[in-house]
Amino acid sequence: MDTVALLLTLRLALATTFILLLLAVPLAYWLAFTRCRWKTLVQAVFALPIVLPPTVLGFYLLVGLGPQTALGRGIAHLLGHPLAFSFAGLVVGSVIYSLPFAVQPLTSGFAATDRAMLDAAATLGSGRFDRMLRVILPLSRGSLLTAGVLSFAHTIGEFGVVLMIGGNLPGLTRTLSISLYDQVQDFQYAQANRTAIFLLAISLFALTLLYSQRHRSDPGRSSDLV
Amino acid sequence: MSELPIQYASSMDVSIPDTASRTWLTVDLEHRFQRQQDGFHLQLAFEAHAARTVIFGPSGSGKSFLLRAIAGLFEPNAGHIQIHGKTVWRRTLGKSSSSLIPAEKRRVGLVLQSPSVFPHLTVARNVAFAMRGMAKPLQKEKVLRLLQLVEAESLMNRWPRELSGGQLQRVAIARTLAAGPTVLLLDEPFAALDTRSRQQLSANIHDWARTHQVPILMVTHNLEEAFSAGDEIVVMHDGHITAQGKPHTVLMQERDRLLESLGLNFTPYSPET
Repeated sequence: MDTVALLLTLRLALATTFILLLLAVPLAYWLAFTRCRWKTLVQAVFALPIVLPPTVLGFYLLVGLGPQTALGRGIAHLLGHPLAFSFAGLVVGSVIYSLPFAVQPLTSGFAATDRAMLDAAATLGSGRFDRMLRVILPLSRGSLLTAGVLSFAHTIGEFGVVLMIGGNLPGLTRTLSISLYDQVQDFQYAQANRTAIFLLAISLFALTLLYSQRHRSDPGRSSDLV
Repeated sequence: MSELPIQYASSMDVSIPDTASRTWLTVDLEHRFQRQQDGFHLQLAFEAHAARTVIFGPSGSGKSFLLRAIAGLFEPNAGHIQIHGKTVWRRTLGKSSSSLIPAEKRRVGLVLQSPSVFPHLTVARNVAFAMRGMAKPLQKEKVLRLLQLVEAESLMNRWPRELSGGQLQRVAIARTLAAGPTVLLLDEPFAALDTRSRQQLSANIHDWARTHQVPILMVTHNLEEAFSAGDEIVVMHDGHITAQGKPHTVLMQERDRLLESLGLNFTPYSPET
C-alpha cells in the first residue's frame, strides 16, 4: 500500500473534518431554527454536492479558484501559490464536497432538541449562544459524532473532486483512492486489493460506529442517523 | 425588587391577609389560535397586586398560554405586559414582533407541570445552571440550600433519568429559584406529588417567596388549591377572565359556574320541595 498516499489521505480527512465541524455547527443551527424565507434555497445549495457529479464540482472549483478569477489571484497572493494542485486546494474542495454530510445530521439533531429544554434554559437567563453551547450541543452529541464520522469517511473515499482540483502529484495531492486507480491502471492488482480492503474497512468501521451510537441514542431525544 | 412593599401571609395560614400592595403585573393581551378548528380566542386583561395570585380555570381555558406569554415564551397577536412597572412586551395588532425584553432577561421564574430537567446534567449541575460566574464554594452551598428547601438534597449527585416525576419536579423548582427570579410563575407544579408532599413543598416555596419578596402567580384547575393558596383569585373560562378578587368574594360571585365546571349542580335547599 502507498503509505505516503495513506498519510496524506488521513491528514486531509482530519483537516477537512475539523474545518467542517467548525463551519457546519453555526450553519446547521441557523438552518434548524431560522424562519427566513430563503431557508429552503439555502438548504438546497448546501445539499448540492450530494447529487452533483464530483467532477462538475471539481471543475468549477478549479476554474473559480484558478488564476483567471480575482478570488483565485487573491488566494494565490495570500498563500504564495495557487490553490489548484496543492494540499490547501484539496482541503477546500473536500470541505465543500463533504459539507452536506456534516450539515444535514447536525441540522436534524439541533431541530430535534426538545423545545421545552430550550424554553427552560431561556427562563433561567440563558441567551441564544449560551443555549447553543450548554443545551443544544450537549444534547446533540450523537449528531456531532455522526457528522464527524461521515465527513471523515467521505473524505477518505473521495476521488473525482480531488483528482480535478489536485491532480495526481505524489506526496502532495495523490490520495489513497487515486493511488488505487493508479495501481489498477498499472495492473498491480495485489497492491490494489490491499488498498481497496483498507478503504472498505474504514467505511465499515465508520458505519458500525454510527449504528452502535444509534443504539445508545442521546438522552431525551430521538436518533438522527442518516 | 427589595423596595416592593409586598405583604405575604404565612404559607400555612389559610386566613386572608391584607394584600393591598403595588401592582406587580399588568397583562392586557389578545390572541387568536387560527389553526385550531374552534378558533380559540384568548382575550384578557388583569392586574396582579397580591403576593400570591392564583389563576383558576378548567383545562383549555388558556391559563398556560398566559404564563408562557408573561415569561416571554409565547407572543400573542397584540397587547402589552408590565412586570414591576416595566413594560417587557408590547405589540399592536397587525404589527410584527416587538418583544422589548427577551425571556432570558425578564427574570421570570417558570415552573411547568412537566419539568424540563436537563438530561445531560446531574441534579446539582441542573440547579447550578443559572449560577454562572458564582464562586464554586458559594455555588455548592446555594445548590445544597435550595435542594434542602425542596427536600431533595439526597438527589444531588443523581442523574435525571434516575428520578421519579415528583423528584424531577422538585429539581425543576430548585433550579428556577436558583436563577433569582423577580416573579415566580407556577403552572400546576405540584400535580406529580402526593398530598403531604404538595402541602410541604407549597409551604416551603411560599416561605422562600416571602423571604425574597417574590410575588407568585400560580395556575391551577384544582378548586381547593386555588382557594387555599391564593390571596387573590383570577378565574378564567374559554380564554377570558370572568372574575377577579379575594377568594371568598370570587367564590360567592362564581359559585354556580365553579360548581358547574366541576360537574356539580347547586340547587338551594327549599323546604317546599
